[in-house]
Amino acid sequence: MNSLASSCASQNAESVRTLRAALLGYLQKSQNADGGWSFYIAGDSRVEPTCWALRALADPSESAQDHITRGIAFLKSLQLSDGSWPASNGMTSGGWVTSLAASVLARLPSQTSVQGPSVEKSVHAGLQWLSDDYPRDSTRWTKFLNNFQSSHASHNDEFRGWGWTPRTASWVEPTAFALMAFASAAESFSAGPPGSPSEPGFRSQLPKSLAVKLEERRTLAIGFLYDRMCAGGGWNCGNPRVYGVDGDSLVLPTCWALLALRGAPEHPNRQLSLAWLEKSFATIASPGSLALAQITLESYGVPLPAHSRHLTDWSALDLAAQGTHVAAWAALALSPARSWPEGARASHESSVTSHQSPQ
Amino acid sequence: MNLRNRQLIPSFNRPPSRVLIRKVARYEEDLLAILHESLKEFGLPIKDKTVLLKANLVGHDPVGAMNTHPAVIAAARESFLKLGAARVLIGDGPALDRDTQAILESVRLAEFTGPLTYGPGRDFCDLNIDDVERVELETRASLLKQLYLPKTVLGVDFFVSMPKLKTHHWAGVTLSMKNLFGIVPGSCYGWPKNILHWAGIDRSILDINAAARPDFVIVDGILGMEGNGPIQGNPKPAGVLILGDDPVAADSTACRVMGIRPEKIDYLARASTMLGHMEPSKIQQLGESIAAVRTPFAVVPEFHSLLESPHK
Repeated sequence: MNSLASSCASQNAESVRTLRAALLGYLQKSQNADGGWSFYIAGDSRVEPTCWALRALADPSESAQDHITRGIAFLKSLQLSDGSWPASNGMTSGGWVTSLAASVLARLPSQTSVQGPSVEKSVHAGLQWLSDDYPRDSTRWTKFLNNFQSSHASHNDEFRGWGWTPRTASWVEPTAFALMAFASAAESFSAGPPGSPSEPGFRSQLPKSLAVKLEERRTLAIGFLYDRMCAGGGWNCGNPRVYGVDGDSLVLPTCWALLALRGAPEHPNRQLSLAWLEKSFATIASPGSLALAQITLESYGVPLPAHSRHLTDWSALDLAAQGTHVAAWAALALSPARSWPEGARASHESSVTSHQSPQ
Repeated sequence: MNLRNRQLIPSFNRPPSRVLIRKVARYEEDLLAILHESLKEFGLPIKDKTVLLKANLVGHDPVGAMNTHPAVIAAARESFLKLGAARVLIGDGPALDRDTQAILESVRLAEFTGPLTYGPGRDFCDLNIDDVERVELETRASLLKQLYLPKTVLGVDFFVSMPKLKTHHWAGVTLSMKNLFGIVPGSCYGWPKNILHWAGIDRSILDINAAARPDFVIVDGILGMEGNGPIQGNPKPAGVLILGDDPVAADSTACRVMGIRPEKIDYLARASTMLGHMEPSKIQQLGESIAAVRTPFAVVPEFHSLLESPHK
């Protein structure tokens, strides 16, 4: 590396550290008194932004235990009696954020003072709800009715995922979130008694009947994701073809699907979708998609393609203005020791320090 | 939002509505002057008020046939400010892609409006992630009993729906009333807002519009979309802007411009009994006549029965 390139790299590494510190500082300051986070500062606490803020603050290099403890308490307080979580306070039925909450609770307590059977119970109840939540689009009755209707789409309705809300249709993103929740929970419930903070685990194991059901749902969900992949790789919300016309892939659904499929058996369509994301990376214009694409590619060990934009082009406040989730994704993307998604860091550290905008 | 608009009023008891049609061939025309003059004709009660422009932003749209064109949004914003509005906010909750910023970058909105600030009460609010408030659905047309809707929508003084002139493969047409699917927050109901489909698209449109009836409508029909809309249809130049003080009347007029019979659109027919006028005799037509701008749009085969007969 020549001296100019070396200077640029160190300047870039410094701006990454500065932005990340500002984002984490913002997340800490923007926590509401009830322990949750809102999408926009001073708004109402919600499950989704709380989950992403907790993910970002749970970085091993951070000392945000008090924030995490309060955030977890907020999540637990919002869980409904059937085990699900509502997308907004006051809603009486749960939905897609159940996967986010169960996933976060399965992995974070070991870093806080809220370990214990109550968190296990919360996660267990969330998983039970997910395992029982069957979308309505693939029921026998719906399939029967579809025989009498003209087909607008070309889906294999033998597969099932999850919907955004109960008793609706399966979609790519909530299915991906559920698969990620299963993966987080599987690690925690199979890890045995908690030992060190780096190996969080629950004391109990999942009941066999639930474990079997989750595995059945997982298999169907993986099949669902591949069935809904767009031609040429990547995913949109779950409509790869409507009225005979191919739909376009989108960055965020593609990232979620790829992250969810990391633990799945190797499949050529996963590689095809990874290639689509890699090819599309240079055209990403928004920081939310840029952060998630970076996390996804790095989790597969794919070096980041050249891009004229970098997350450091935005200030922490600019990122937060697009929602707490965007600020959290950016903080995670910039982390040198990312704790999520679990188990794969590959080339991440080198890409954080060497990634530069073209001169 | 004006409270009078949240009340359901039977058609026979509702004063006549006004709809204005302007011929506008290209987005490069002086849209600010056209919209300012057009809006002035309505004498809208917006002085010192906060106005929300609910655009229809769907996704990447290189041809410009899918989204409300940013030139129209920017001109409407300036026009309302010139007419005395204290603040004019822009908002939408895109249905298929949660990355609203990516959509805004793609449609180049800020190039037409100037730099924007983001968030509730700022220049642009992503309605998908705004704070929400529970709203009981008085009409109970669909299976939904209540919806959580964005506080920004419920809190503004004057609410403007700004759709694109498009046909829709499930609803027949998507205009100012269907545009309100975009106020249903994705953070609660997902991307897409599939619960509305299961509850019945037509009836959900009715419920949402009864809960948050737009005070005014500006339809971008300079370049529309026909066939397999709202995303994969074909661009269709119609060369019009349609403005109205009644969403049912504006949408009915837009249908007639497209050569579609509004009474055949289920939600419009139902809405005409309680939310606005469909009957031409109850609509004061301003500007161009419908006949002068009529541009038949193609629809998907399932909706051929919506089309006016060729001789009309």
